[in-house]
Amino acid sequence: MKREHPGSGVLGGGDWYGGAVEGEGQEKGKAMMGVGAEDEDVDELLAALGYKVRSSDMADVAQKLEQAEMAMGNGIAASDDALLSHLAADTVHYNPSDISTWVDNILSELNAPPPPLPPPPPPPRFDDSSSLDRQNRLLELPLVTRRAPAEVYDPKPAPAPPAARATGRFAFGSDSQLDVAPSPRDSKRIKFCSSPPSSSSSTTDAATSAASPLPVVVVDPQEAGIRLVHALLACAEAVQQENLKASDTLVKQISVLAASQGGAMRKVAGYFAEALARRIYRRLPRGGAGSSFDSVAFDDMLHMHFYESCPYLKFAHFTANQAILEAFAGCRRVHVIDFGMRQGLQWPALLQALALRPGGPPSFRLTGIGPPQPDNSDALQEVGWKLAQLAETIRVDFHYRGFVATSLADLEPYMLLGQDTDDRVGADDVDEPEAVAVNSVLELHQLLARPGSLEKVLRTVRAVRPRIVTVVEQEANHNAGTFQERFTEALHYYSTMFDSLEGGAAAAAAADSAGGRDLTMSEVYLGRQICNVVAHEGADRTERHETLAQWRGRMTSAGFESAPIGSNAFKQASMLLALFAGGDGYRVEEREGCLTLGWHTRPLIAASAWRVAAG
Amino acid sequence: MRRPEEEEEEEEEEEEEEERSSPGWRRIPINDNADLLAEILGRLDGRSLAVAGCVCRLWSALGRREAVWEAVCYRQVAVAGASAASGGTRSVVAALGGYRRLYRLCIGPALDRLAGVRRRQGPAASAARHVSLSLALSLFSIDCYERLGGGGGRQQQQQQQQPRPTSLLFLGQPVDVS
Repeated sequence: MKREHPGSGVLGGGDWYGGAVEGEGQEKGKAMMGVGAEDEDVDELLAALGYKVRSSDMADVAQKLEQAEMAMGNGIAASDDALLSHLAADTVHYNPSDISTWVDNILSELNAPPPPLPPPPPPPRFDDSSSLDRQNRLLELPLVTRRAPAEVYDPKPAPAPPAARATGRFAFGSDSQLDVAPSPRDSKRIKFCSSPPSSSSSTTDAATSAASPLPVVVVDPQEAGIRLVHALLACAEAVQQENLKASDTLVKQISVLAASQGGAMRKVAGYFAEALARRIYRRLPRGGAGSSFDSVAFDDMLHMHFYESCPYLKFAHFTANQAILEAFAGCRRVHVIDFGMRQGLQWPALLQALALRPGGPPSFRLTGIGPPQPDNSDALQEVGWKLAQLAETIRVDFHYRGFVATSLADLEPYMLLGQDTDDRVGADDVDEPEAVAVNSVLELHQLLARPGSLEKVLRTVRAVRPRIVTVVEQEANHNAGTFQERFTEALHYYSTMFDSLEGGAAAAAAADSAGGRDLTMSEVYLGRQICNVVAHEGADRTERHETLAQWRGRMTSAGFESAPIGSNAFKQASMLLALFAGGDGYRVEEREGCLTLGWHTRPLIAASAWRVAAG
Repeated sequence: MRRPEEEEEEEEEEEEEEERSSPGWRRIPINDNADLLAEILGRLDGRSLAVAGCVCRLWSALGRREAVWEAVCYRQVAVAGASAASGGTRSVVAALGGYRRLYRLCIGPALDRLAGVRRRQGPAASAARHVSLSLALSLFSIDCYERLGGGGGRQQQQQQQQPRPTSLLFLGQPVDVS
């Protein structure tokens, strides 16, 4: 369901996500209905789903639907679903797409014979499994002429989950009407006049009248896409309300729906479904994502593949390097502290740039910080070795020190500063103080899991008096608000991210096996982040991303001021992106001195530079 | 692009004929003057130069001269700032693997990629899409770093002997002409 819509600013980049927004709906409606002149006043969104309702009639139709719902619901009755079976079996409905007359039809049926009515349909919320059962049934009902049985979108503002509403997708949460409309209609379509509904428990409802499920289904993938998103959000809501039964059903449903999709959407849905399942059944991986020892090497490997398959990390490194290079202009002794050393891929480029700068290379010291390794291998030291070799070939005076720390908060200023003169030769060097730069790529957000850690680290950073602090973080808010809000935000973010991977991969898809492997591994990498954001809580939830604005607030309150990143970095980033296959979708933007890289209109990663505020 | 060699050969033949006809012309056998030939070859683009290296042994030897490839590189990339071919750059590039390698791994694929983009988007495509030397060198250094291998460390876990550098894969698979 990917659409090329760079212009759809409202969407924020999630192409396949945009089905519910008006602009898209309009297009879809026109495409699908072959709309002629007479349909001009038809409501577009409903038209997209196959219903013709004149916009002027909307309020009317809504009211009638309400009446129908109440009529069907009012009543007691026991186990007698006679009315609905009557509606199902004996009445004749014409042209269900014309909702207006069809509802009239139902109302007349309802009002005319007053047989005992079935138990009330569930309230317009998703926490009743009966409506979910219906949804399941709907999936199983085969199509006759039209596409998948679509939901009737509630034209008036339904009590939608606040989060979904906040993101502007007003199609969600309106499944309330599902219980009313589709079941008799569907049963009509298929002409299941057979047995009266079995009505053993009050939770099995009229939909069972249409129950003998024929194996399924030709579901229009776009429809299914909307339903999938719908289901994901509904499940999140159910989880937030701790409605285990509903969330359980929904998770299964999501898996089914996801299978009907292709490409990025299926993968995203898969990861989110898995994360939700973990949250529901409490089958969490040991510790937080990546905190268990035997996955550190695995993490690094995934990180490498992510580095290779898409430009985000390269953008981060190059931009940070440019900022550091500019800050080090004219200094003869420089010291870089890297908060996340990993494989040290950022530093060869900086070494080369320092070697080539006018005036010759400075004396370069690097302090790398990394997590403890499970086996006794000293990964930090090896990385240092490699960098030293490289530095030697290009003749840059290089010193290295590795620090193993479980958390950055364990660092103290004296550890980072000390040993200024151990390897130095010549007294003249001691006079000139070192210029220090602190570099953190996707590391700071993890500190937010424990209160006070970030403040301590920022204090430590301040204490080493750096010339520049480069911070690169994901541009998303996965830390504030309720679970549901977090979930929605994460869904949007990661679907855009997967879209971009898909976009880049498709262009470079010359079935290069390494490329394919990179793509898969990158997806696993992102999948672990998704799992952490959705399934974990408390100290285990380390993927606490925050937006640039939030980081700006944190940095300024810690005593830093923004050091604008120059246009050189911007040009370099643009050039880098031009080299990436499928690079048309990537966008570099400059925002108040910081650079962001995103996919179409949605920024995904933000690089910023800071210096200690004067005074 | 076999034009340069053809031209050269034709020139020679023409000159031979001319020499017979009009004694005013002097014969300049290009293959006797390696530096002149190198100067000429240095004005080709990368692909043509690589092809020129297939002509004969002399041309192949010249086609491997770093100076020739240096000229090619500088012609193809945008160099920001003054010091174009400073000695410092030369030594750094030599240390990282040389200009020929630089072109093969970074500049060549980058130019191809950009040409593809320009083809797709039309010549009036957004902003000057060119490769800068600094960017190419950065990518080159990363690649060189990746090839370095384990260094002092690992006795127990010997991975592959030659770790396959993959950071430049995004530029597409370069053809090995070495």
